[in-house]
Amino acid sequence: MNGAIPGAQRLRAASAGNRVLGVLIVLLIALTLGMDQLEPLFRALFPDLGNPLYSRDSFLNLMLAHIGLVLMSSLISVTVGVAAGLFVTRPVGREFEPMVSSLAAIGQTFPPAAVLAIAVPLAGFGFAPTIIALSLYGLLPVIQNTIAGLGTVPQATLEAARGNGMNRWQILRRVELPLAMRVIIAGIRVSVIINIGTATIGSTVGAKSLGTPLIAGLVGNNLAYVIQGALLVGLLAIVTDLLFERLERRFSFGR
Amino acid sequence: MIELKGLTKTYAGKNVVDNVSLTLDTGEFGVLIGPSGCGKSTTLKMINRLVPLSGGRIILNGDDVTELPAEQLRRRIGYAIQSTGLFPHWSVAQNIATVPQLLKWPKSRIDDRVDELMAMFHLDAAEFRHKYPHQLSGGQAQRVGVARALAADPEVLLMDEPFGAVDPLTREVLQAEMRRVHQQTGKTIVFVTHDMDEALQLATRIALLNGGKLVQYDRPIELMVKPDNDFVREFIGQADLGLKLLSRRWVHQYQREPSLEHHATHPGLDHCWQLDDAGRPVALEGARLDEDHEVTEVKPEWTATPGMSMKEALSRMVWYRVMVLPVVDDAGKLIAEIGMQGIMGIQAENGTQAS
Repeated sequence: MNGAIPGAQRLRAASAGNRVLGVLIVLLIALTLGMDQLEPLFRALFPDLGNPLYSRDSFLNLMLAHIGLVLMSSLISVTVGVAAGLFVTRPVGREFEPMVSSLAAIGQTFPPAAVLAIAVPLAGFGFAPTIIALSLYGLLPVIQNTIAGLGTVPQATLEAARGNGMNRWQILRRVELPLAMRVIIAGIRVSVIINIGTATIGSTVGAKSLGTPLIAGLVGNNLAYVIQGALLVGLLAIVTDLLFERLERRFSFGR
Repeated sequence: MIELKGLTKTYAGKNVVDNVSLTLDTGEFGVLIGPSGCGKSTTLKMINRLVPLSGGRIILNGDDVTELPAEQLRRRIGYAIQSTGLFPHWSVAQNIATVPQLLKWPKSRIDDRVDELMAMFHLDAAEFRHKYPHQLSGGQAQRVGVARALAADPEVLLMDEPFGAVDPLTREVLQAEMRRVHQQTGKTIVFVTHDMDEALQLATRIALLNGGKLVQYDRPIELMVKPDNDFVREFIGQADLGLKLLSRRWVHQYQREPSLEHHATHPGLDHCWQLDDAGRPVALEGARLDEDHEVTEVKPEWTATPGMSMKEALSRMVWYRVMVLPVVDDAGKLIAEIGMQGIMGIQAENGTQAS
């Protein structure tokens, strides 16, 4: 009976969380597809602006381009980050751990705009320099959390895994990764959320994203454009964050 | 059968295990004991090669352990440790099935084996199968840990201070269970502890180590009555040697016919039991330390069972101030009695009061 009450509370909290998430997803899709319908509202809010609705591209196109940028760069961050984290926690790579950690930390200290500025002469304008900047920028949380997550696996658990006759690969796949997964996903979550925000800057070097109306609004002194871009980026970030929260919970194993 | 031949482990130029040789026959319960840092855990871990050998050989049923692939060797050897090392993301059933799964047993065989082991450790399968380790008490988790170690019917079971982290009451229960499981399965067990009482409770052979060297390897009683040197004598402890001997003796060895009528002339038998219709003892006339011929109600706290150690029986006599305990079977029926004379008989039988 003791456990029943917190359990019920958790269920109620979870179902309330589901409703919030559902509402936000519907809002995100509705705004992406039907921003045009809000033209009268923006016209009323900004009567001085001749054109209060961004119309050089559809918001659906901008949203898909933005998600594409984030997916691509996060894929690189996660692949490289998890691989590096795994490497430096194995016996062969242990001595590289301080170096990899500090390299990733240095990557994080560069402002993304500076990385973009360096990347443009190397990779030209558009998609490629943005991907490079975002990938570098999203690397640190993934590496850090991969190392930290693998470090939380208790020594006794590892000794038992070895003592019961698992080989290194089996220990990694059956014991270490599942137990570290929650912390690793938390790192990926931070990395992706950072990149959703930072991807907007890619528009300054010509990569299409939700930052395009934002930058256009800032340059052209059009606050309505800024609000439209920022609203969608903000919603996308919140929805993604809530989805990651649910994913993390799957790896809590009842703790 | 396990043979250690000149086993040596060197860390930073120091021999933490120094030329240890001993043979443990199949079915024996061997205990490695000694003060902290004596090399007992290291010795144990060399058997399944969690610690690599620096010198010497270990022969497991005819095979040199260093000549087998490490993983294959470890699947032949059960391994249970103090902090259980249960996999927190796996249910009780999955944890127990660890080694059978590595050995790729068919699912039905694994399920049957898990049920069998849970029954052996008195874990209700319906209740515990799907529980996770954090939902278990310390004693339950340790049972699951030992069940996991036994799952693939290993040739040897290694246990590294498995009951060191549980409370004293649970430890006693687990020790009794371990003794029963050893008798039921006939497994060869190597068990590390620093607790002499635990060693005397469980072992059929005790290896006492100090500073990496084997000091004495013998049966528990021999260790007590014929210590090789002062270190052994000191480590066992002289003050309660009599009690330690009693912990190796069982009530069924010394019980006698219950006295159902008074024998006024016979000292020590001047008492009798009153039974109910089902043959259960309800009262004892006489045999109290203080009040002669008083009638005392029999309480479950001071009844004995045939499997109880004589040490516990004595403890109950002293605490409840009775000279004789009723020995009852599972149904509570009086089958015998055990008295102070029985305990003194043990001393007489051993004769040799360690000098």
